[in-house]
Amino acid sequence: MLALIILAPLAAALLIPLLRRLPAAVAGGGAAVSLLASLNLLASASNAIHPALVLSGLPDMPLRLVSTPITALLSAMVALVASFVLVYAVGYMKADPEKPRFFATMSFFIAAMQALVLAGDWVSLLAAWELIGLSSYLLIGFWYTRRTASMAAMRAFLYTRTADLGLYAAVFVLIAASGSSEIPATLNISGGPAVAVSLLLLVAAMGKSAQVPLQSWLMGAMAGPTPVSALLHSATLVAAGAILLIRAAPMLPPEGLLAIGLVGGVTTVVTGLTALGARDLKRLLAASTSSQYGLMLIAVGAGVPLAALLHLLAHAAIKSSLFLGAGVFQHGRDTTTLDGLRGAGREQPRIFAGFALAALALAGIPPLSGFFSKDAVIAAALASDHALLLGAFALGGTLLTGAYMARALRILWRGEHQVRHITGKAWMGTGLAALVSLALVLGLAFPAVESLVEGPLPKSTAAQIAGLVAALAGLGLGWFVGGKRLLGPLLDQARHGFVIAGGMETWVVRPSLAVARSCEQLEHALYQAVLAVAHPARLLARSHKQIEAYLYNGVVAFGRCNDAAGRATRRNDEQGIDGLIAALVRGTVALGTHIRRLQSGLIHRELVMSGAGMVLILVVVMTSLLAFA
Amino acid sequence: MSPDLMIALLTGAALFGIGIYGALSQTNLVMIMMGVELMLAGALVNLVAFWRFLHPDSYAGQMFVLIVMTVMALEMAVGFGVAIARFRAKGSVEMEEAQALKG
Amino acid sequence: MTLLSLQTLFIAFFGVAGVAFGVAVFRTASMMRSALALLFSQTALGAMFLAMQAEFLGVLQIMMMATEMSIMAIFMVMFMMDPGGLGEMEMTHQKRLSIFAGIAGALATAGIALFTEWGAVSATAPDAALQVRELGTELLGRSMLIFETAGVTILTAMIAATAVAMPALARKKPA
Repeated sequence: MLALIILAPLAAALLIPLLRRLPAAVAGGGAAVSLLASLNLLASASNAIHPALVLSGLPDMPLRLVSTPITALLSAMVALVASFVLVYAVGYMKADPEKPRFFATMSFFIAAMQALVLAGDWVSLLAAWELIGLSSYLLIGFWYTRRTASMAAMRAFLYTRTADLGLYAAVFVLIAASGSSEIPATLNISGGPAVAVSLLLLVAAMGKSAQVPLQSWLMGAMAGPTPVSALLHSATLVAAGAILLIRAAPMLPPEGLLAIGLVGGVTTVVTGLTALGARDLKRLLAASTSSQYGLMLIAVGAGVPLAALLHLLAHAAIKSSLFLGAGVFQHGRDTTTLDGLRGAGREQPRIFAGFALAALALAGIPPLSGFFSKDAVIAAALASDHALLLGAFALGGTLLTGAYMARALRILWRGEHQVRHITGKAWMGTGLAALVSLALVLGLAFPAVESLVEGPLPKSTAAQIAGLVAALAGLGLGWFVGGKRLLGPLLDQARHGFVIAGGMETWVVRPSLAVARSCEQLEHALYQAVLAVAHPARLLARSHKQIEAYLYNGVVAFGRCNDAAGRATRRNDEQGIDGLIAALVRGTVALGTHIRRLQSGLIHRELVMSGAGMVLILVVVMTSLLAFA
Repeated sequence: MSPDLMIALLTGAALFGIGIYGALSQTNLVMIMMGVELMLAGALVNLVAFWRFLHPDSYAGQMFVLIVMTVMALEMAVGFGVAIARFRAKGSVEMEEAQALKG
Repeated sequence: MTLLSLQTLFIAFFGVAGVAFGVAVFRTASMMRSALALLFSQTALGAMFLAMQAEFLGVLQIMMMATEMSIMAIFMVMFMMDPGGLGEMEMTHQKRLSIFAGIAGALATAGIALFTEWGAVSATAPDAALQVRELGTELLGRSMLIFETAGVTILTAMIAATAVAMPALARKKPA
């Protein structure tokens, strides 16, 4: 069961590139299977059945997938949102030619997120953490041909990756301190290591959940397709930070909790102001996401992780529906800037109705789910040790939520409008409706969640009233006053994301680039040094080459001499010796010719020769006889 | 030295010389044979002179003379046979024309 | 001159005659006269043999040579294109060489004859009848082999001469 939740979308992710046909159907199938499995898991968890899966990993650190109430709930949330967003994505990506890549990467992300949520030990959590970061990079930069998209993807990746160092360090400390990698077992540490771990985990959460000062990547991530924004950057990936803190909550010491609460509070206010001054609908929603997660961190910092969990669940449904609605408006007007979307709401009344309902839910209007979750957060903040601080932050956040959502609604409603035709509206509308209804209904399920998770959940009427007042005030301010006038002098700062002392640009980017440049110069100097060393060697080689050329010429000349000697010998042989022999032959032939003349055939000549011969013989005989005598 | 012997020997020498001259200078076969006859006659004279004046008791000299005479006769017989054959073939016995064995 | 005996005189006379006639053989252009000159030369030589008391040999010489020279004369007439020598054709060749060879040969033999120490000269010769008897004994005794060889040689020569002199047989042409 546990394995199926992860394997179904993973199989879809692997299958789609192979098949390249019906990518949406395959992805949807994988998501549906995963959904059924996770709902089943939730059902068994509610019956106090907690299956677990153990796989052999590193020595002494096996990989675990566990089903606890928290993990089962989160898994179900991820599966639900993912399925409805995929339904929406069918309509949204109708005109896009790169559907296989999109659905494959989305399925991959779903599988990785489920693995993160169900992780039972730090190693698999770490692995899944990295994988969702990779998927985010791939999905933000989906339209990689656009420069803004690829730059935003790189930026997101770098920001979150840097923050992940905190998680690595925290995991090392946890495993070293506790001796085991199983998450529940490692939460028993205390003292110095606990503080260190809590701060490190906070750093990681700051990166993934886009908290101050690492919040700007989320707004840049809006360059991706809207389903990506709806799934990743509202409900799941950015939730990873909060999930981390929620699961590690039993271990967090008071100092850590204070830090978490402060960070969350500052984020809530700052990003809320940013959302108020935003000029782009999706960026507004992104800033809103950071703000809501700030509220969750406030809840954790107040010591009530259950409140954070509730808000997380509610926010997932709400924010994804808001994004889906924004996506429909985007398709209608081909832009997401608020100036371009004036009056877009009137063109799609039903979509706008869903959007408005989700917006109100986010603001915290009962009986919508957002009210219950916001109420829990504010109550927790007011009941905490640092009630004043955290409470002020929480209420401020609630006010700002109402303000910017009302602003958005007003801009969408008021303006020029005409009838526009949008392709795939049926699919988009279906997905949106599903999530909106979930957002509306979820509040009713909260009591069941509370009984399931079994955690302290402070309830106070004061908190409820305060929250409601803040929400209504915010809505009114936003609708009637508008963002610009509310912000006043802070408008510019808000527009630029409250850059402090140059921001990341000065503190991170410029030094890094300077270091890189000096490294380049160092490398250049080294290269010159190497060349200088090599220079005499090259000269030597050149002189050797010249020597070798001389030698070669010498050898060639020697060869020519030999050649000439050979030719002379041949000439000598042909003309000298052969000539000699030929002359010999000629002489012999001439001699024969001469002697031939003796053979005249004339008798008298023969007679003379006979006579001469006889005289000769006679002389020889006589002398020999006389010699002997 | 006995003058008889001398005279005989000189005669023989003279005949020999004349015979050589004749054998070498004549173009006709019969004349060449005449020269040979003269040479042989010269030899005969010498032989007889040697028998008579040096070894009259030994008859080997006379024997030799007989043989030489025989040879003269034979040579003349065969020579004339050849001459007849030549004459039949070529119509003359001039030695100038007998160049068939020219090499 | 006191040593000059009759024998010496006759020998000298016939010797000179022989040489003279021998010279005449080659000096005349007529073939008949050459043959006759040779005949007379040989006859003179035979007489010279007689003068040297070799009767048998002398007689033999005269008889044989007479016959032979006659036959030679007949052949001369048969084969010569100008037997009478009435034409003016030159019938000799390599004259200088032959003269030189002849004189060389004559001088060589004469030189040998004059400058050799012949030893003691016998004054007397046996009787003619005795000569013939001794010659016969020699012939059939010691020199039998020579005689027989000579006989075979004569036979061979006769056959050879006849065969050579026979006219060529008409050869049947291959059909």
